[in-house]
Amino acid sequence: MRDVAIVSFAQSGSLVDIAASETQMLLPVINAAVERSGIARADIGFTCSGSADYLAGTPFAFVANLEAVGAWPPISESHVDMDGAWALYEAWVRLQHGDVDVALAFSSGISSRSDLREVLCLQNDPYYLMPLWADHISLAALQARALIDAGLATEGDFAEVVARSRRSASTNPFAQLSGDVTVESLLAEPYTAAPLRAADCPPITDGAAAVILVAGDLAREVCERPAWIRGIDHRSEAHYPGLRDLTRAGSARLAGEQAGVGTAPVEVAELSACFSHEELLLSTALGLGDDTEVNPSGGSLASNPMMVSGLIRIGEAFRQINENGRHRTLGHAASGPCLQQNLVCVLEGDS
Amino acid sequence: MTDPAKTEDEGGPIRFMPQLISLDYTVRTNPVAEAFGAALADGRITGHQCPNCHLVYAPPKGFCPICTIETTAEHEVPVADTGMVTSWTVLTPIQYTGQRERHDYALASILLEGADGTVGQQRLLEIPLDEIRLGLKVAAVWAPPNQREADDRGYGLGTAVDGWRPTGEPDAPAADYREHTL
Repeated sequence: MRDVAIVSFAQSGSLVDIAASETQMLLPVINAAVERSGIARADIGFTCSGSADYLAGTPFAFVANLEAVGAWPPISESHVDMDGAWALYEAWVRLQHGDVDVALAFSSGISSRSDLREVLCLQNDPYYLMPLWADHISLAALQARALIDAGLATEGDFAEVVARSRRSASTNPFAQLSGDVTVESLLAEPYTAAPLRAADCPPITDGAAAVILVAGDLAREVCERPAWIRGIDHRSEAHYPGLRDLTRAGSARLAGEQAGVGTAPVEVAELSACFSHEELLLSTALGLGDDTEVNPSGGSLASNPMMVSGLIRIGEAFRQINENGRHRTLGHAASGPCLQQNLVCVLEGDS
Repeated sequence: MTDPAKTEDEGGPIRFMPQLISLDYTVRTNPVAEAFGAALADGRITGHQCPNCHLVYAPPKGFCPICTIETTAEHEVPVADTGMVTSWTVLTPIQYTGQRERHDYALASILLEGADGTVGQQRLLEIPLDEIRLGLKVAAVWAPPNQREADDRGYGLGTAVDGWRPTGEPDAPAADYREHTL
């Protein structure tokens, strides 16, 4: 395997109900990631983006997004209808080919122009769940209920995750929801879909993020503290949630094992837990103990631009190494209802 | 055509399942497109000129996709409502429900004077379909002022222009449109 590192990361921050086009939103973010990398744009050998046209309701929006990249003279690029973490994965695979050394991965999502409880129904199987309009919050509530029924968690545990997320987000200028809230006050709120309350569910966020990946020694030349990708893997559950044991995040566990999470201590884990109970499931699946700080950014409960949240988790894990001097961190991304698909990326600094 | 909602063999396996889906979206017109639409309503076509490469984009995008720098109102330049045909298609309308076209018609890409890229899907008026050609000089036929609605996402000219008529000037030489035929 070729050593590949993240050398720069940029994000738009939590945009709310923006008026800009998706391309206009992306342009300054991609520019910032390229500038921070110190690498000339012409030296980027591969570009991969992640987005979903269903969110903005604009067919082929992903093509227009390429105008934010600087695609002339023509570039080599690809797109995934996935969170940008999977665009990063494809870029990492592309760098393994050995003929290019620099890649750009970015993603964008405008969540505010549709009703996510409608649009996200379309990710379900078209025969059994789609006709029921089984929305993502209701399905998440079924998983939360399964955890409670199995004696694995309580509503108080969910509220503690929320309270800690909001508290951590207070120091993250890119967060949307932050501040001090008590478990008692959270539990006094009404249900959105029992046993989940509004604070257990993610906010509606628009946003974009971009990373630059570099292979080999060039990463050390352009970046004082690159974050090396020591393991990266993604796994999927059966598509139909009824076939799954919802009290376990089996595909997250597999991805974590394949990425080598457990081979050494993890100082910081940024988990794409869009619902409070998902953090509990993921921490268990990845075998994270008390010595791992989870979501110091506040995580997806504090800011959740669809299609971007996972890439931001990896970007935040990079920042922990690049800016905060940590040695070993991980970023996690998820997609689909009830943590259906999971990607785990283990990062390490040089020292 | 058979009704796809019915199985061909009563009592046989279900082969089709009709499923109508409706999704509601909010459309936000971005500020650059909004300013462009206001100018159109006023009978003016505007563009943004990149301060780096000096290319003029009409409609404006709010950035130069080649130099990847943002452009704003300070980069706005006027663009003429005259130009030349750089490509065209003759469409034969199929009569489905909601179709308002009855006869063959032509849509063209037009390179406006003062702009560096074409505006697509513009209707050609007042010319027989078999006389349309590359380099044909045309001028805008504006819709009445109260009917000039811009595209809400900033693409094309919306309903501001009914179409384009030949000006009678000599055709532009191939060198003027060669880079814009698509």
